Amino acid sequence: MKGILFTFALLSPIIGGLIYGLERKFKARMQNRQGPPILQPFYDFFKLTDKRALQVHSFHSLMGIAFFVAAWFAVFALLIGPNILIAIFLHVLALLFFTAGGFSVKSPYSVMGALRELAHILAAEPILVFAAIALYLSTGSWNIEGILTSNTVPILQMPLLFCALVLTVPILLKRSPFDISEAHQEIIGGAEIEYSGLFYEAVYTAKWLEYIFIGVIVFLFGGSNYLLGALLVAATFLFVWLLDNATTRLTIHYMMKFAWGILLPLAAFNIFWVAIWR
Amino acid sequence: MFGFFKKFRKKSPWILHYNTGSCNGCDIEIMACLGPKYDLERFGIINKGNPKQADILLVTGPVTKRARARLLRLYMQMPEPKVVVAVGACACTGGVFRHMYNVENGIDRFIPVDVYIPGCAARPENIIEGIKKAIEIWERKQKEKVEVPKVLKEIPDVETLDRREIISKLEEKYSERLVIEEDEK
Amino acid sequence: MIAAEILASILLPWISALVIYVLNNHRVSVFLTVLNFVILTIIGLHLWFSVNNPITLHPPHLVDWLLLVYDYGLLLYFFKQGIENRNPLVSVLAVIQIFLLSWVVLIRPHSEVPNIYIDKLTVFMYLIVGFVGSLITLFATRYMQDENPVREGEFVAILVWFLGVMNFIVSVNNIEWFFALFETTTLASYLLIRFRGDTVSVNNALLALWMNQIGGITILLALLFAIHKYGITHFSQFGEHTQLALFPLAFLSAAALVKGAQMPFHRWLLGAMVAPTPVSAILHSATMVKVAPYLILRLSPFIKGTLLAKLIVVFTGFVFVVTALLALNETHFKRILAYSTISLLSLMMLAGTIGTPITITVALMLIAFHAVAKALLFLEAGVLEKRYHAKTIYDLKHIINKAPLTVFFILVGFLSMTMVPFAMFVAKWLMISEMSELLSKASYIITVAILAIGGAILTVLYLKILGLTINRDEESFRVKIEKLPSLYTIPNVIYVVLILIATLFINTFLVYFFAPITQSIIGYIPPFCEGLSVCIKNLQLPFWQIIIAFFFVVFFPIIAHYIHFKTDRTAEYSCGEPVKPRISTYNMVCLNKVSTYFESISLALFVLVLVIGGGML
Repeated sequence: MKGILFTFALLSPIIGGLIYGLERKFKARMQNRQGPPILQPFYDFFKLTDKRALQVHSFHSLMGIAFFVAAWFAVFALLIGPNILIAIFLHVLALLFFTAGGFSVKSPYSVMGALRELAHILAAEPILVFAAIALYLSTGSWNIEGILTSNTVPILQMPLLFCALVLTVPILLKRSPFDISEAHQEIIGGAEIEYSGLFYEAVYTAKWLEYIFIGVIVFLFGGSNYLLGALLVAATFLFVWLLDNATTRLTIHYMMKFAWGILLPLAAFNIFWVAIWR
Repeated sequence: MFGFFKKFRKKSPWILHYNTGSCNGCDIEIMACLGPKYDLERFGIINKGNPKQADILLVTGPVTKRARARLLRLYMQMPEPKVVVAVGACACTGGVFRHMYNVENGIDRFIPVDVYIPGCAARPENIIEGIKKAIEIWERKQKEKVEVPKVLKEIPDVETLDRREIISKLEEKYSERLVIEEDEK
Repeated sequence: MIAAEILASILLPWISALVIYVLNNHRVSVFLTVLNFVILTIIGLHLWFSVNNPITLHPPHLVDWLLLVYDYGLLLYFFKQGIENRNPLVSVLAVIQIFLLSWVVLIRPHSEVPNIYIDKLTVFMYLIVGFVGSLITLFATRYMQDENPVREGEFVAILVWFLGVMNFIVSVNNIEWFFALFETTTLASYLLIRFRGDTVSVNNALLALWMNQIGGITILLALLFAIHKYGITHFSQFGEHTQLALFPLAFLSAAALVKGAQMPFHRWLLGAMVAPTPVSAILHSATMVKVAPYLILRLSPFIKGTLLAKLIVVFTGFVFVVTALLALNETHFKRILAYSTISLLSLMMLAGTIGTPITITVALMLIAFHAVAKALLFLEAGVLEKRYHAKTIYDLKHIINKAPLTVFFILVGFLSMTMVPFAMFVAKWLMISEMSELLSKASYIITVAILAIGGAILTVLYLKILGLTINRDEESFRVKIEKLPSLYTIPNVIYVVLILIATLFINTFLVYFFAPITQSIIGYIPPFCEGLSVCIKNLQLPFWQIIIAFFFVVFFPIIAHYIHFKTDRTAEYSCGEPVKPRISTYNMVCLNKVSTYFESISLALFVLVLVIGGGML
């Protein structure tokens, strides 16, 4: 088990890239387009390696690299570390570098993107913490191996929380209707705008790791039933891609109201109910 | 080593589209190319909207006096290797606006253009063909060779370039006189 | 020997304060504050190793009478201040206090219970006061040179005296003495807040005065009731009664809530920022507000699991989230720090009230590292104010171009309160885990939500401010590290080093420092394991994760200052426009509408704590 998880963590940028490629393909098919090849993210990756790097200043570029390294480390901590709660906070640490990079340049779009990224953290982080607590509540373990080998299936106890988590995925992955911090037509990528060449490559790859991070958390809701877990992940991503195609961007206020007014109570209610019901 | 990476250029050209004063006809055609019917994304093409991450600069329209400094600035902010495609008659020569008081004719007066796409407005098929040509030219380019606007006479010969100096030098010469409040402390 | 050491740690600050006040000489002040720092820390450490069982002392009866006389004098002084400053509220409250105190004196039984009670918790507070507080007084000597050299002696003397009062208040067992010293801390904060003497300062000082007087009144009421019903006059006697009415405990807790500036009474702590910055530093970190979690920890074994504890948990939990939210709307740097102090104080009290071994440990960790982090941040606020004239967060824009070292210190201070792997994060993580553990037993279910939400808000708050400071357009290696007076830098460097060491060796601190204190409070030790990784029951934070996260958080900013990538440089993207952008940040102005509701709800909850928690229904 440990070996598989370690290999998975090691390969996570590649798998994340494949998921991103799949996403672009699926979204194109949903729009009745042919779409790019599935390996397209890797083509982009290789092309970016061969570009001349421009930078605003070295601090900013380093933060991009730190974002990638820290995001990968968060995935490692999630997959082989003994505590998923720590992994969630390490993920916030990775986002800290991303926002620090965004804040560090005198570019309006970048700073605006970083500020909106903070709103994303504010909206999504409590729900992720709730998800970890829910997993602990139903399986009695903070450890990924413990969750994967427990007898219970967390989603059966936590259906509402799972719904909340699925609706948080667009907030984490910055997909429509909550692609507020990226907002390509509005602030041109937000905090990632000033990166270029190799440095953009780091940020680009770090974003693939987010798929792995959220995917694993969704997978854990299948408990020891891996087939169910895989189905949940597939269903979640397909739903998010459909949602991305079908909706338009909402405002930051709406996102906060939605996350705090609907998702959080939903998740909290589920956890409290399970706690009291026992 | 870099030969390996070079192979992937043609699979992932990212576009920056800039309108220097066009009538929007060509812009609509470019948008049509990216839409479901012509679907440029199947070649890996995305409209990035950000010069720092773009490879191909699609310029539409004649260069107006207000736009020329911005065009130079955007061009300088693109990392090498890069190609420029002039889309439509106006971008190539000035088109029907040629020699008007506010127009500087085609964009090749300011920046080196690799591909000219004719037409008023340029047809999507033409644009796709032009981009294909542009990719072919792009594949032959080197990232070590710095490309600067035509209007810049001396090409700086340093390993790492401070592009802000070049940009500010160009802007001094080519920007329209605007009153800009310096409100930064 | 131990008795002498205890006497020294209480009396040394009083004596050195007197000397500083009389001589009013910069060199003498520096010498004496350094001496205080060294001696208090050494005594604290020595006591730490020697006090394994609680030590009791019987001071002579004369002290009792002296304190009583002093108390009347103090209350008369408050009365006089109320008259002089035309604030009838202060005078009325002082009269009520005099009346209640006289009643207590009339009915109090003769008791042979020791008046001084020293256990590990007391020594822990000594260490915080001696280590963190003395460094602030050292900083204050230089600060006053910049502000008002003539009054330096007076200012530093009050600060140093404050340390002595604080050391005294954590040692007493007698509730009447506790009241006297409680009011003395009120007096000290009153004098410090009105130090600048302008109208705003005086008004805020009077605000702090009457709010804290309410705390004094609740202590007196609790004492009256305890004497009347049970004959209790000392803290240690609470344990002797099994069937204890909650009334005295509720009123003592209320005093803690007032002292800890919880929500309806938060304005006095916000108002305190008009004073010179070392005042805020000392109020927020080592003294004054730390009386609140201290008192809660003292009472925690008696209130654990009662209705009162649950009400306090709800109240502090509410304040924790709400003050963190309100801080998002603030623009003044020191006000933001004040709000986050209130928020974290409520977290400490929440943890202390729940009273399981782990939550008590969490409360202790929060007290210790919050003291260090807040002292660091307030001293930096002082530096920013004096050297860079930055007061609001908008003044902090691009400050990294002028002061990279200061920004690094602020970064460590902020991140140490929220981010992996710093000690306070470990505390919050332990807290969430422990609450989940309790949740699976269906108790304290709401706290999990409070912790998750409040933690996220505080994270965003700190990142928002850090974001403004690091905004720049020049390469960092061109920026020279700023030269500051050594008395400004030394305390901060010591704090930062302490924070970093505690982060790396957090488990060592947990096992050998915090766990024994927990044992002395509730009698048994939380089962932490040896080694460098934090592990307890089924929780684990392995050392490799700590060290890698540490590398990220601490070394990346340092590397970022020196690294220089040899690539082309370009300007920021601005759609091709040559306009220089003006960078700013957002405030949650929408919170203005609801802040009054927040205050009303918290007032209602406070009344509930008193009425229902005190068993008056």
